[in-house]
Amino acid sequence: MGRYILNRLFVSLITAWVLVTLVFFLIRLLPGDPFLSEKVTPEIKANMMKYYGLDKPIHIQYATFLGNLLKGDFGYSLRYKNRTVNEVINQAFPYSADLGIRAVIFAAIAGVTLGIIAALNRNRSWDYLSMFIAIVGVSVPSFVIGPLLQYVFATKLKLLPVSQWKGFAYTIMPTFALSLHSLALMARLMRASMLDVVNQDYIKTAKAKGLSPFQIIWKHQIRNAILPVVTVLGPVTATLLTGTFVVEQIFAIPGLGKFYILGIQNLDYSLVLGMTTFYGLFLIAANFVVDIIYGLVDPRIRLAR
Amino acid sequence: MLRKSLALAIILLLVLGVVAGCGQQASQQGGDQQQQQEKEIAFTISAEVPNLDPQKATDTYAILVGNAIFEGLIRVHGDGNIQPGMAEKWDVSEDKKTWTFHLRDAKWSDGTPVTAYDFEYAFKRLLDPNTASEYSYQGYYILNGEKFNKGEITDPSQVGVKALDEKTLEIKLENPVKYFESLMSFLSFMPVRKDFVEKMGEKFAADADKLLYNGPFILKEWKHEQELILEKNPNYWNKDAIKIDRVKIYIVNDPNTAYQMYENGETDWEYIPPELVEQVAAEGKAKYFYDGAEFYLQFNVKRPGKPWLANENFQRAVGFAIDREALVKSVMKGVSDPATRYVLPQLAGLEKKFVEEYPYEFYSKNADTAKAKEYLEKAMKELNISDPSKLTFEYLTDDTQRAKLTAEIIQDQLKQNLGIEITVKQVPFKQRLELMNKRDYDVVFAGWGPDYDDPMTYIDMWVTGGGHNNTGWSNKEYDELVKFAKTTDDFKKRADAMFEAEKLLMEKGPIVPVYFRQRAWVCGDHVKGLVTNFVGPTFDFVYADVEK
Repeated sequence: MGRYILNRLFVSLITAWVLVTLVFFLIRLLPGDPFLSEKVTPEIKANMMKYYGLDKPIHIQYATFLGNLLKGDFGYSLRYKNRTVNEVINQAFPYSADLGIRAVIFAAIAGVTLGIIAALNRNRSWDYLSMFIAIVGVSVPSFVIGPLLQYVFATKLKLLPVSQWKGFAYTIMPTFALSLHSLALMARLMRASMLDVVNQDYIKTAKAKGLSPFQIIWKHQIRNAILPVVTVLGPVTATLLTGTFVVEQIFAIPGLGKFYILGIQNLDYSLVLGMTTFYGLFLIAANFVVDIIYGLVDPRIRLAR
Repeated sequence: MLRKSLALAIILLLVLGVVAGCGQQASQQGGDQQQQQEKEIAFTISAEVPNLDPQKATDTYAILVGNAIFEGLIRVHGDGNIQPGMAEKWDVSEDKKTWTFHLRDAKWSDGTPVTAYDFEYAFKRLLDPNTASEYSYQGYYILNGEKFNKGEITDPSQVGVKALDEKTLEIKLENPVKYFESLMSFLSFMPVRKDFVEKMGEKFAADADKLLYNGPFILKEWKHEQELILEKNPNYWNKDAIKIDRVKIYIVNDPNTAYQMYENGETDWEYIPPELVEQVAAEGKAKYFYDGAEFYLQFNVKRPGKPWLANENFQRAVGFAIDREALVKSVMKGVSDPATRYVLPQLAGLEKKFVEEYPYEFYSKNADTAKAKEYLEKAMKELNISDPSKLTFEYLTDDTQRAKLTAEIIQDQLKQNLGIEITVKQVPFKQRLELMNKRDYDVVFAGWGPDYDDPMTYIDMWVTGGGHNNTGWSNKEYDELVKFAKTTDDFKKRADAMFEAEKLLMEKGPIVPVYFRQRAWVCGDHVKGLVTNFVGPTFDFVYADVEK
C-alpha cells in the first residue's frame, strides 16, 4: 500500500508539472498581453512589461516561475497589481469551500435519499416524483434556477436575501442552486444501483435468513449500492469546492469561480497559472482521497490491493 | 413504515432550514433599525476595485471610490463645477504655463498635515518610469514630464513640479492647458505621502489599513471581492458639508442580481439591465445619463489589397448608409444618441458646451441613401471599379451580444442602402485591441471615453504618429491644427482650430461616428444630491443626502 501511494504521488507530480508547463506557454500564445488597453501607449506598456519581468526571454521567465512555484509562490497578479495570487486564492477559497461543502453534503444526503426512495417505490408515485426532481435538476442549468429562486424567495416572498454571503440565510439559495445538478446525478445513480443490487444473491440469502426488511436495506442493499455514488463524489467535491463561476456570480459570492474567467479575459498570466495549479492539485488530491474511501466502504477493494 | 419516516425526516429538514433562515434575517433587520439614526447609502459596483493606488489605478471604480476618499488640489463636482480642494486658492502666470497652488490646513487620516511635498512626490511618482504607471501620460502636460517618463532625462528635479514650502506648490507646464484645473481633480493627481508609501512598499493601497486618506470619507473596511465600507472622515476640512455617515459599496457582478437588490431595497441606485429597460421606462422609473463613451467605425487606410478603405468617398458612403437612429432603437432600446458629428456633445467649450458654440452636423440621424449612393459612385469612379459588390470588407468587433447585434444591423443597412456585402469578425476585447495595434483589420467598431472635459481628448487621437492612431491616416493640415490648438494661449483660437480639425476629420478622415452612449438607471426618491458624470467618477455621492 505504501509503495502504491508513493507511485501515485510521483505520477501526480509529473501530471502537475506537465499541466503548469503547458498552461505557462499556452497562455502566452493567446493574442494580446496583460497590459493591453485602449489608453496605454507602447512606451508606457514597455515600462510595465519591464516592471513585471515580462520583457525577459521566455526561458528565463519560465525558470523564475518554476523556482517560485516550488516555494509555493504564484507571484503578483498583473491586474490587481498589489495583491499576490496566493492572497487572492487564500481570500476567495474559503468562500468557495464553504459553499461547496454545504452543496456536497446537501447533494449527497438529499440525492442518496431521493434515489433510495425512488428505488424502494419503483414505478409508484414517490419514484416518479423523485425522478422528476432528478430530471429537472440535470436539465435546468444553474443560471436559470438561481435567478428564479431569487425572484421567488427574495423579491416576491421576501423570505431570503437576494445575494451575498453574510450568514446562514444567505447560504440557502446558493447551496440549493449549486447542489441541484449533483443531487440529481446522485439520485439517478443511487436509484439505478439500488435496483441492480436488489437482484443479487446476497440479498436473497439475507431474506432467506429472515432478516427484517430494514436490516436488509440498511446493511446490505444501501451499503453495496452506494459505491458508484462515492466514485463521483471525488470529482464533484473538487468541482464544487474550487468555485463555480455561475452560482457565485448570480449570488455575488466572493469565491474563486470568477478568477478562472477574469484571469483569461485580462490575460493575467500569474493568476491563470495560480488558479490552474491550485485546481489541478485539488483534483488530484480529491481523486486520491476517493481511492482511500473506496477501500473503507468496500473491503473487497482493500483486499484486492 | 421506513418510507413514511424517511419522507417525514426530509420534510422536517426542509422546514427547519427555512425557519432557521427566517430567524436570522429577522434579527439582522432588527440590527439595521438601530443604525437608522446614522445616514447610510448603499449601491453596487460590478467588479472588485483592482487597485486604489492613486498613481497606478486606472479603472472606473477606483476613480469612483478615489473621488470620495482622496482629494486633489481641486475638486470638480458636477458638470464643470470647479471647487477648491486641498488648494484654497491658486494663480496662473501671464503665459498660462506656471500655476501656483496655495494649500489649506488639511490633515491625513493619521492626523499629520497634508503638504505641498506630498503633491510633488505624488506627481513625480506618477511620471517615474519605475512606478510603471499606466496613466503616466496624464502627467505629460507638466514640463519635462514626458521626457522623464520615457527615460530621456533621469533627474527628477528637472520635472516642472516643485513644493516651494509646505503650503505652496508650483507647477510648470509644457504648454498652456485650458482644462488644467479639472485635470487636477483626476485620480492620478491625488497626493500620497512619501514615508508611508515607502514603508508599505509593494503592499501600498492593497488593503484599507495600507492607505492614508485626505478626502471626505475614509475606507473603513475593504473585503476584497465582497464590499467596501466608507465612513465620514472626521478630519476632513469641509466635513460639515458631508451629510452621509456611511457608504456601503457591494461588489455584485450579475446585473440582474444587482437590480433585484435595488428592487428589494438593499441598495439606493442601480443600472437597469438591458432587457428590463423598456419595462422600467414604461413604469416611468428610468433615468438616463451620458457616460461619455462614443462609438465609431474606424477604417484601416493602409490595408493591402483593399484600396477602397483609404478612399474618402467610400468612407463617406458607408457613413451616410448607416441608419443611426434605427440602430440605437433596436440595439440600445433607444437609450443612447445617434452621433452625427465627432465631438461628444457634453464636452466643455469656452463658456457653454463646445457643440453649442460650434453647431455642426455632418451625418444625419437616419440613413441618407441618396448621398450615400452619390459618394459610392464617386468612389467607384476613382477606384475604377464598376461592381459595388467588390467593395467588401471585414468588420471587426468584440464578442459581446450587443456588439454582435450592432454588427448585424450595420451589415444589413450597408447591404440594403449601398449593395455592398461585409463580413463580421467577432473576437475577445483584448484580441481586438491587439489586432488594432498591429493594424491587422479592415474596419473596426471601436469606442473611446474622455480623459478630461475638453474636445481635445477626442481630437488629438488621429494625429500622425499618435499613440492611438492605428488607422494609418496622416493629414498634415490636421496635424498642424492640433499642434496649434495644443500650444496657443489664445483659447478662442484654440477652439476654432479644434472645430476646423473636427470638420476635416468628418470630411476626409477615417472615422465614422455611430452613437454617443447613455446609461439607464434607477434611483430612490429619498436620495438627494447624487451627481452623475461623463468624465471622472460616474457617480459622485460626496455631497449626497438621504431623506427617509
